[in-house]
Order: sequence, then structure tokens, then C-alpha cells
Amino acid sequence: MNITRYSRPLALVALAACSLDLQNPNNPTVDQVTTSVDGVIALATGLQGRFATSYGSFAYTAGLVTDEFAATSAALISISDAEQGAVPSGTGIADAVFNSVYRTVRTADDLLTGANALASQFDAGTRSGLRALAFTLKAEALGEALMAYQRVPVETFGVVAPTYVPRAQALPVVRSLLDSAAAVIAATPPSTFFTASILTPGVNLPNVIQMYRARYARMAGDDATALAAANLVARSGTGALSVLTFPAPTVNPYANVTGGPNGIAPRRQWRLSMLPQDQRFAYFVTPSTTLSGRVGAQLDSWNRYANAQAPLPLYFPDEALLIKAEALANQNQLSAAQAALDSVRTDCTGGRGLDDPKACLPALSGALTQAQLRDEIYVQRRYELFGTGLRWEDTRRRNAIRGPVAAPGVPADGQRCWLPYAVGDRNANPNATFAALPDPAEPGSFPASCPAQ
Amino acid sequence: MIPRFVISRILGLALALPALSTDAVAQGAVGTIQGRVTDAGSGRPLPDVTILVADTRLGAITNAQGEYSIPQVPIGSRTVTARRLGFQPGTRTVVVAPAGTVRAEFALEVSALNLSEVVVTGSAAPTEKRKVGTSVASLDSTIIGRAQAVTVDQALQGKVPGAQITQNSGGPGGGGISVRLRGTNSFISGSDPLYIVDGVIIDNGSGQLADLGGRSNPQNRLADLNPADIDRVEIIRGAAAAALYGSRANNGVVQIFTKRGNIGKPRFSLNVRGTSNELREQQPFNLYPFDAAGLPIQRFNYQDDIFQRAFGSDVNLTVEGGNDQTRYYISGNSAMEDGILRSTSSRRAGGRVNLQQQLSSKLIGNVTANFVNTANEFQAFGEQNDYGIMGSLFFAPTNVDFRPVNGIYPLPPSLGTNPLLAIDRIRNPQNIDRFIGSTKLTFTPFSNLLLDYTLGIDNTGFEQRQFVPRNAVLGTAPLSTGRAQSVYQGTRVINQDGIAAYTWKPVGPFQMRTTGGFNFTSQKVKITNAVANGLAPVGELVSAGSVFAAGQTEVELRTLGFYGQQELEWNDRLFLNGAVRYDASSTFAPSERWQAFPKLSAAFVVIPNQSGTLNNLRVRAALGWAGSQPGVVNAYSQYVTFAQLPFAGRPGFVNDVTFGNPDLRNERAREWELGAEMGLLNGRVGAEVTYYDRLVSDLLFFRPLATSTGFSRQFFPIGTMSNKGFEVMLRTTNVDRPNLQWASTFTYARNRNLVESLAIQDFQSAGGYPNRIRTGEPAGVFYGSYAARNCVTGALLVDSLGRYRRSNQTVDLGTAAQRRAISGGTCNDSLNAVIGDPNPDFLASMLNELTIFKKLRVRALFDGVFGNDIMNLSTRAQNAGIASNSKEFERELLPYGDPRKLPPGFNARTQGIFQYWIEDGTFIKLRELSASYTLDWAPVKRFFRDGVDLTLSGRNLVVWTDYSGFDPEINLFGTNSGGVGSAQTTAADRGFDFGGYPIPRVWSISARISY
Repeated sequence: MNITRYSRPLALVALAACSLDLQNPNNPTVDQVTTSVDGVIALATGLQGRFATSYGSFAYTAGLVTDEFAATSAALISISDAEQGAVPSGTGIADAVFNSVYRTVRTADDLLTGANALASQFDAGTRSGLRALAFTLKAEALGEALMAYQRVPVETFGVVAPTYVPRAQALPVVRSLLDSAAAVIAATPPSTFFTASILTPGVNLPNVIQMYRARYARMAGDDATALAAANLVARSGTGALSVLTFPAPTVNPYANVTGGPNGIAPRRQWRLSMLPQDQRFAYFVTPSTTLSGRVGAQLDSWNRYANAQAPLPLYFPDEALLIKAEALANQNQLSAAQAALDSVRTDCTGGRGLDDPKACLPALSGALTQAQLRDEIYVQRRYELFGTGLRWEDTRRRNAIRGPVAAPGVPADGQRCWLPYAVGDRNANPNATFAALPDPAEPGSFPASCPAQ
Repeated sequence: MIPRFVISRILGLALALPALSTDAVAQGAVGTIQGRVTDAGSGRPLPDVTILVADTRLGAITNAQGEYSIPQVPIGSRTVTARRLGFQPGTRTVVVAPAGTVRAEFALEVSALNLSEVVVTGSAAPTEKRKVGTSVASLDSTIIGRAQAVTVDQALQGKVPGAQITQNSGGPGGGGISVRLRGTNSFISGSDPLYIVDGVIIDNGSGQLADLGGRSNPQNRLADLNPADIDRVEIIRGAAAAALYGSRANNGVVQIFTKRGNIGKPRFSLNVRGTSNELREQQPFNLYPFDAAGLPIQRFNYQDDIFQRAFGSDVNLTVEGGNDQTRYYISGNSAMEDGILRSTSSRRAGGRVNLQQQLSSKLIGNVTANFVNTANEFQAFGEQNDYGIMGSLFFAPTNVDFRPVNGIYPLPPSLGTNPLLAIDRIRNPQNIDRFIGSTKLTFTPFSNLLLDYTLGIDNTGFEQRQFVPRNAVLGTAPLSTGRAQSVYQGTRVINQDGIAAYTWKPVGPFQMRTTGGFNFTSQKVKITNAVANGLAPVGELVSAGSVFAAGQTEVELRTLGFYGQQELEWNDRLFLNGAVRYDASSTFAPSERWQAFPKLSAAFVVIPNQSGTLNNLRVRAALGWAGSQPGVVNAYSQYVTFAQLPFAGRPGFVNDVTFGNPDLRNERAREWELGAEMGLLNGRVGAEVTYYDRLVSDLLFFRPLATSTGFSRQFFPIGTMSNKGFEVMLRTTNVDRPNLQWASTFTYARNRNLVESLAIQDFQSAGGYPNRIRTGEPAGVFYGSYAARNCVTGALLVDSLGRYRRSNQTVDLGTAAQRRAISGGTCNDSLNAVIGDPNPDFLASMLNELTIFKKLRVRALFDGVFGNDIMNLSTRAQNAGIASNSKEFERELLPYGDPRKLPPGFNARTQGIFQYWIEDGTFIKLRELSASYTLDWAPVKRFFRDGVDLTLSGRNLVVWTDYSGFDPEINLFGTNSGGVGSAQTTAADRGFDFGGYPIPRVWSISARISY
């Protein structure tokens, strides 16, 4: 018996396949992504995808805890709890905004790092576009965080345990990121390659940057910057409306969470509270007399987001006019403010050729006082900026947080000041434990104010 | 029925062991040994006794008259042994003269202990049970065959102490079965032990390739094995016994051996079985003929339309035979079964060839080849509420008339689909083509050296399709435009095993065996899927769609291990064993990969076979280590990667929110066990007792990362968990008379699981369900809201309307101060609490077997799980406002003044109180009941040599339980091996009943003929 003759091939078979160092064929490694130009460009696409998710998540939750949306779902109790102002710590809905926002921030930081590390391999215009995009979307994501949480971390990249700072410290960070974005593209205009092949079709980055600059300048009470930036936002022409598009099979994240059986729909009260002539409801909803939600809220059906491929506007262009009107009113330029406001009110079909909400209301009659103007601006913001999540900040800054409203009651304005901090961060971040970072107290009744920290 | 396994196994062993005197045969000086074997108690002849001539390869099996004859025995003094399961072995020494015939008669004493059985699992080479320092459970083909079960794991239910074998769903083709040996030992790898068939590590995945209900599993892949092919099953339950299997053996090992064939002329057998399955009992629904406003309303009970009496058949044809050079076993099997849920079915057809050939005087070859095709038609259940039939049943109000009008099926008002539509139109066909084969070479170059090499392959092609027609579900989501899906998963497991065992006698009464071996396993899984939405009005394939998506995944896992083992025997009384396995898996970081798993064991035969009250006693102790490694889903957890996120039609990358762990290492279990076997009352009672203590450290799970960094979790060692308990098995021969035999087997197993420490916060392991992994509690306890009570009287607190107050709802209980005021104490301070435990207090079973007049056999198996809690989310769904179809909701509709009237909103309130849905899950099932009769009249025997065996049997005929749902055994989470888009689940997640597929009551009749 020749042992070796048989055993040698067997041993070879046995050992040849024995390497234990296997590569993961499903996902690229860090090195594969961050050290190549194509990898970094793909990060820019990923960033825009994540931004769509975090923005959708913010607007969804903000709408629930104000008076905009209510649950249609049958199974998820946490959504109908939230529409009544109850967002217990640890629920998915409490964490979703935070987690998705900071994923967007992470990818923006990854993109900035990659664009800097490979600076020499990009042409200047492409690099400028990538950096401006990262600054802008990171800023807006952080801005959404500080509209949902009382304190937020702003330094998170390369940090194991980020620290939370009050809004007064976070808001300047958001604004300086947007200023950086504006400065970068002012110094080096984005290349055609960036605009045509990296930036999502339908987005005009300079307009977005100025819109966001105006938004956060207004929040900071910097009327001069708000006015200047609002004036730089185009209000007609192809770049005036920036939308994220979702070719099938991808779906609008906003529609995805609102359209399914666990979804939400606009409260009918929103439409019914309008002036009878106001046409803006038609943009957002299909009126219903029967649709009711999980805990009995009266609802209308979605029109704007009924289709899962519906594009998601990054902002509504008339927000710039409303910011402008507010800044002017604050500066006591009342007639100019009223004119800006009227241009929102009188926006009508065929007006500027944009696919945005159109009130088709008559102009205001007579000169309004500063206080009347501010009230009217607030009213117009409610209807013009529906479903953008901005309603929450508006109710908060006007001290209109009225506390939770149990069904079948219909909430007015806002129901809670903030979301509880994300348990996902609490579980691992020593700066976010319940002891280090207690959840802010929520008002039990109206009138309530929401301290910034 | 013939316990054929004994014959084949021991003959197989004899052939494999050193043959010291083969030279004598060649010299031609031979004689014959003849004899007869009887039962010492009753004096009746014993058939099927294996007779072996020591130090030769010669042997025989007694016939129906208990007689045997062994020709060609080399002359000289020969030791002859006789063995049969259930009897103590007998030994005679005879002198064989040239061309002479010598008789060796045996009268065997019955023995309820089977310590002379030979086992392989855990000891590398064949070893008698009495020499093994751990408890090894073994079951033979008789026990498996008599269960009349559809799958092997079903057949094991109630027969292995320490094994919680749960049928998680009642679908056709076996249902999804999980086997849990000695409690929950890991969060990552499911509960499944390592399965080995004829030396081939096989895939027992239960993941579904399309969404058939999230984490539920309608079938696990062990269902591809034909139970009729199985000769015996060996089970070792933990680290102490399984150290030789290294980093995969933490959950124990189940080794399955298929039939080898009996020496002799070709013997054909045909077994035909017909079954009838039925729903045991319907659930009560709200059939109150008035609505909430008191107006008359028509209500419907759709259970009559959803469930059916379903039939099945099973045909097995085998032929076996051989001579001393060649043995073969060939079988063909065709089984088909409809499910009690209409439109579900399972079919399995396959064949097997097992061949053993003596290639030279020192080399034996063994080949097994098994091809099977399993074809299923399933429907979604469990968590699938969009198109799952059970979800639709529980979530739909009973006032919806689902009957189609002009071919249009009305949809329910708010959730799910029309169950009648699902039955008629939604299709989920599966096709599994599987080949399991092995080649084994046994080489004995010298009389005391054994070399064994096995190469095995398990190749499975699994295709899952799904068709949901247009407008079949509510909502605007893509699903309502129809979905056609085709997913193909190819799984290939290649396994190589080499063993060398050297037996030697150093000095005097000592004997030693030195064993070394290696094992290499490569598991590759490739998945490709294509999905289409926006379907054309006609066409069920992906090509009928207008919006497409596709995906592809490839995973490979490799494990390489080497081991050495030293056994020492003293005087055939004391047996010591020490071994170590050195093991590495590709899934772990290179720096942590190589791990040593040692074991030590000792067994001492205090009292060898003797007569008397205590006629046999053996004590044993063992200590060992084993590991577990992540499954396919987490195979690449050591790498830090980016994930694909395409957007607006362009490819994109984002950081994977699961951060890689470049230092990943395996879980490690330490287990010791102590045990004893006793033979009592002259062998009429056999008892086996084992106590074990297991501690698993470095439990792998996801530790949270600060989500503010953009990551959320990392695979990491997060804690330790223990399982302690004991197992008892008692076999008794109650009556042993010529015309009446009655034997019983009892099993009892108690396990205490405890999460000993956690390096992270308590966490909810079942994503979306109220359970917890919490230090100081058993894994997977129910944790959530409760109904507040008066701290002094214990009475439930109710509000002004008579509704309970939910512990975690400020609206119900107010501020912390108000809470205490209402409660009269601090007992309701916590928002949530541990509200139940799905782990049973103990498991127990009782099997009784009666043989009357040698021809009629009656057996009954009672199998029970005791002291576990179940969270009845099915009834919770029924109570949801949207469904309001439960009997309890009916009480809310009653007119005021009716004593059964519940206050309005009562059921809405209990939705949020999870404690309200906890029920005692204790049950005892009449798991098996059967009567077999052997028709052996002369006219029958003229055609069929052994007569005709007729069996009438039932499975799960009766269930004694207080649980109110369909069945206390079904579980939302199956064996949680993680399927497509697997939501987070761990092996600890048990006890959730949510839209499960009820387990049917099964009647069957079968006939077996052979000639």
C-alpha cells in the first residue's frame, strides 16, 4: 500500500483552500473609498441620499408634534403617541431625527476629508463644488438638529464622545459652515462636471446656500444678513426651485414614510383653517371628508407626496420672501415688508412658472403695523411652508407650544418643545447619559415657553 | 420493527477496527460457530441480536427464532459477544476446531441502560458509551421511524433530555423547528447546534429569501432529509462534550448517520403513509351582531375559509443488502403534504445511495450520495401584515365581507390584504435542489492504527419566487402596484476531516488511544435577487414588471482546526480523556483567530453489570471549552466598510453604520458536567442523571456606538451568560412477559439561564418587541409597560371609566409625585418592568410502549414545556381598534347594564400595557400516539416475507394548556438565522405569538411491506 501516493494529493487539496484571509466582496473598505477620486465622488452622492433621509425624517417628526400631521397607521403606537405630543425617550421616532442627521453630518465630514486629502487630484472647480456641497448639507443637517433638540453636538468627526452645546453655540457653527460654502463657490465656481454629474439634477447649489444662509440668519436675529441672503435667492427661472429627484425604484424618503400603511397624512384642520380663497391646499392635499387616522384625527389625503417618486423640494422659494418680509418688518421698513408679503399672497397659477404653493389671495388692504405684519408673516409661513418642519421652530419662537393634546382633541400650533435625546447616543456617549444630559422639561399647559437651553 | 441500526453500526465498527487474526483466515483452518439467543427473563427467542467474534471481522445477526450461524471462523479459542439494544451484552468463549461446529448460546438480561452502545460524536473515533465522560444522547431508526414525523427534528421532539425542540410554525413540510440544547448560549448564532450528516457539516438555515413574514420561518433546511433514511442520531449538548468541534460547538452537536444497509440478499421494503391534517381549534372572534353605535351589523368568521383539512402522503422504497466486501442501501422517497392554511403545500422527492466497499484488506471506502428536491408553496404569516394571511385574519374587522364581487376582492379598511385574495392569487413558490454527499476512506495500515479521511459536500440551490398581484394590498407603496420577485441562493459547504487513532498498551492493565485530526470547512453562500414592481395585468414573473431592482451578495466562511486527544483506560473500569482543539475561523481578526479549546473527562464504572437492586453504576465528570462564531449574516464584521447608497440614479457610498471590529474574536463557553448512569432492579430500570454548569463569555453582539458620530453599533464582546441545570432520563421495563411487554421512558430537564454581566446598557434584543437582555435576569425576559397597582392592596388601579393605568404613560399616572399618591407607595415608580419570562422552568416527557402478543404495539408520547410565559400579540392585534375582532372587544360593544360590559376605550388602553398580553405558556401535548399491528398470516407471508406492518398514528392530537392562542408552541421568531433584510433578532427572542401558523393535528395511517 503506497500511503504517500494517496495522501499527498489529499493533503494538497486540504491545504490549498485553507487561507483564512478572505476579502468582503460585498462592501468596499475605507481605503478603497477614501483614497480614490471616484470613491470620494461617490461619497458626494451618498451624502445627498443621506440628506434626503434626514430632511424627510425631520419634517415628518416636526409635523407630527405640531398641528400638521397625524398617523394613519394601524400598528405603530409610537406615531400616534407623537401626534398627541408624547414622544417617550427611546422610541424610534425620538431617535430617528438625531441618528439620520448625524449620519448626514458624518458623510459630509468624510467628503470634506476626502476632498482635502486628494486635493491635487481634483480640478479646482470640482473640489470647490464638493466642499460647498459638504458644508451646505452638513449645515442644514445640524440646523435641523438644533430645531429638534435643545442641545446638540457640533464636533463629531474623529471624536468618540461628542459634547453637546446649547443653541447659542451651535447656531454660529451652522452659519459659518454656510458662509464657508458661499465663500468657496464665490472663489472658485463649481465645475460643469460637478454641476452636471455630481450634484443631483434639479438642485441649484448657490440658491440653496443663500436660502439656508437667510434661514439661519433669521433664526439668529441677524436681519441684515437675512435680508441680503434672501435677496440673493432666485425667485424665478430654472434655478429657483431646487428639488431632489427619485427615479424608480428609489423613492422619496418623505413619501416612503408617509405613504405606506404605517404612514401619516395632513390633518384636515390645516386646510379648514385657511381663508376660503386660499388655493395652497390643492398643492399639498386632496380634500377628504371621511379619512380618519389611527386615533380618530380627521385627515386629508396627500397630493404632493402621494407618488413615491415625487420630487422633494429642498425649500419653497417663497420662504425667501417671507424671511425678507420679516427682516424688513424688524427693521421697521413696513411698506417694503408688506410688499414682500403681498407677493407671497398674490402668487397665483402662472405667476413665476414654478411648481410651488400658490395662495392666489388678494393683496393686503391698508398699511399694517409691525405687529400685524409679524402675525401675518406667521400665518403665511404656516400655509406656504407646510410639511417643511419649519412650523415647529415658528411655534416655538412665538411661544405657541401648547403642550400635548390627547385625541380626539385637535392640536393648535406646537405640542412639545423638543424631542428627548437619542437613546442611541445616550447608550454609548458618556456626555449624553441621563445624568449628564437630562431630557428638557416639557410644558404641561399653555402658555409655555421653551427655553433655548 | 427491527432495530437495524445496532447491526449495521456494530458491524461497521468491527470492519473498521483492527483485525488481528486475518492471517489465520488465509490459512484455511476454519470452523463454524452457531447458537441461539434468548431473553433471560421471558425465555423468548431474541431476533436481531448482533453476534461478533472478537479479533475477527466475522459476525452475524440472529433470525426471528433467535438463531445464528457464523461460518469460516479461524480455529482456536474464540470470544463471542452478543449485543442487542435494551439488553446487557453477553460473552462466551468457545474453541473452534478445524471444520467443526461449536455452539455458543446466550440468555441476555434486559437492561434499560445502553452503555455498550458505540458513539462517535465528541470522541473522534468510535467509542463505547461507558468510556465517554460526558452524556451522549443517541436515538435509533426505530424511535425516529415510529414518530411518523415529517422531518428528523420533529421526530426528536420529547426524546432528548435537555433539548427544547420547538416547532415554531405549523406549515407543511415540517414547519420551522428550532433545537436548543441546554438553554440560550449565544445571541448571534441562533440556537442551532452544529449539524453533521455522515461526517458532512450541513446547512440548517431557516432564512427565507423573500419576505414571508420577517423573522418567522416556515421551514428549516433539515427538512430536506428523509427521516426514513436515518439510522441513528447522536446528540452532545455542550462545550464539555463538544470541545473537539472547537469554535462552532457552543450550542452542541447533532450528528446524523444514515443507513448503511444490512449484509444479505437484496431486501426490498415499501412504506406507504397517508396523513390528514386539521386545525385543532378555531380562535374565538367578535361575532356580536351590533356595532359600536348599537346598529345591527353582519359579521363573518373567515377561519372556515382560510383553514382546511389537508392531506398528505409519503412513499418510501428501499433496497439494501451486500456481502462481507460490499454493502449498499438505496432509497427513493416521495412525500407531499398540503397545509391546513389553504394554498400552502410542501413536496419532497429524493433518492439516496449509500455504498461501502472493501477496497483492499486494509482499506474501506464509503460513499453516500443524497439528492433531494423540495418544492413548497408558502404564504406569509407572522410579522407580514401587508399580504400575510394570518396578519390579515387578526387585523381585519369581522364585519368586512371579503368575498369577491365580480372578481374584485374587497380590501380590509386599514391594514393588510384580503385573505381570500391572498389564498387565490398571492404565490410564494420555493424550489430547493440539494445534494449531500460524502466519501470516506478508512485505512488500517497496522492493526492498531486507524486512519480516516472524509470529504463531504452539501450543495443547495434554493430559489424563492414571490408574486403579489396589482392592487392586492392597501396603500400607495410600491407593493400595491404588484410585486414579482425571484431570489436564488446557492449554498455550498465543503468539509474535510482527517483522523488518526493509535491504540496501544503501555503497561499492565492500562490501555491508551492517541488520536489526532484536522477539520477544514468552507461555507459559501451566493444570493442574487431580482424584484419588479408595477406589474402588468397578466404575468407573474419579474419580466412582467416595469420598475426593477436587483441585488447580489456573496459570503464565505472558512474554519480550520487541528486536534489531539489522549485516552487512558485502566482495567476497563476507569476512563480518562484529555484533548485540545486548536481552531481558527476566517471571520475573526487574524490576531485573535487561533484559539485553543481543551477538554478533560473521566468516567469510572463503579459497578459493572451484575444482578441485584443496583446492578450497574457509572459516574463521570467532564470539563471543556467550545466557541461559537457569527453566521453568514455577520461574517465580515471584522472589516470597517462603506455601504452602497445610490441616489438619483448614481452610485453612492456612505459609512456603514455598523462599525467593523478589527479585533473580533469568538465567543467562548466553559462547561463542566457531572453525571451518573445506574442500572436498577436487575436492569429493569435505567437512570441517567447529569448536572451541568456552563458559562459563556465574550458574548458577541452589537454594542452601541454614539450615534452622534454617524455610526450606531459595533460587533463586540458584550458580556457573559450562564446556563445551569440538570437532566434526568429514566427507562423502565414495567412488564416483560412473553405476550406483553411494557416499557416507559421519562425525561426531565431543568435549565436556569442568567445574563451574568453586560458591558453595555440593557438592550431589547428582538427589534420592535418588548424584551430585554438584562444583567441578573434570564436572557430575553419580557420587559415593558404594566398596569399600575395599588401598592398596599395589590388591586389594579383604574381610571374614572374603569380602564387600567399604563405604567409608562404620563396621561395615565401623572408626574412622579402624582404617581405615588395614586399608588399609595413606590411600587409603580418605574416606567417599565420585567413582566414575564419566556424560558421554561422545566421540560418533561413520558413515552409508553406496549407490545401485546408480539404483534400489536401501542405507544404514547406526552411532551410538555412548563412554566414559560408567552406574549400573545395575536390577540393584541385582534383587540386593536382597527380590528376590534376579539371576544374581548365584543364585550366593549355590549349594552350598558350587561355585567360583562367593558368600559369604552378599555381595549384601546390595554394595547399599550404589554403585561396584559402575557400568559402562562405551559403545555402538555399528546405528541405521538400510535398503534401498529403486524399482519403475518400465512397467506400474507406468502407474498411478503415479514408480513405487513400496519400503523395508525396521530401527532399533536391533544394539547392541555391554559394558553388562549392557537398553540402555545408556535413562536414568531424561528431559528433566527437571519434571512433577507433580517431585522434584529437573537436566539434569546422567544415567546412571542404574533400571527403564527397553527400546528395541525395529524392523523396518519401507514403500511410497510418487505420481501
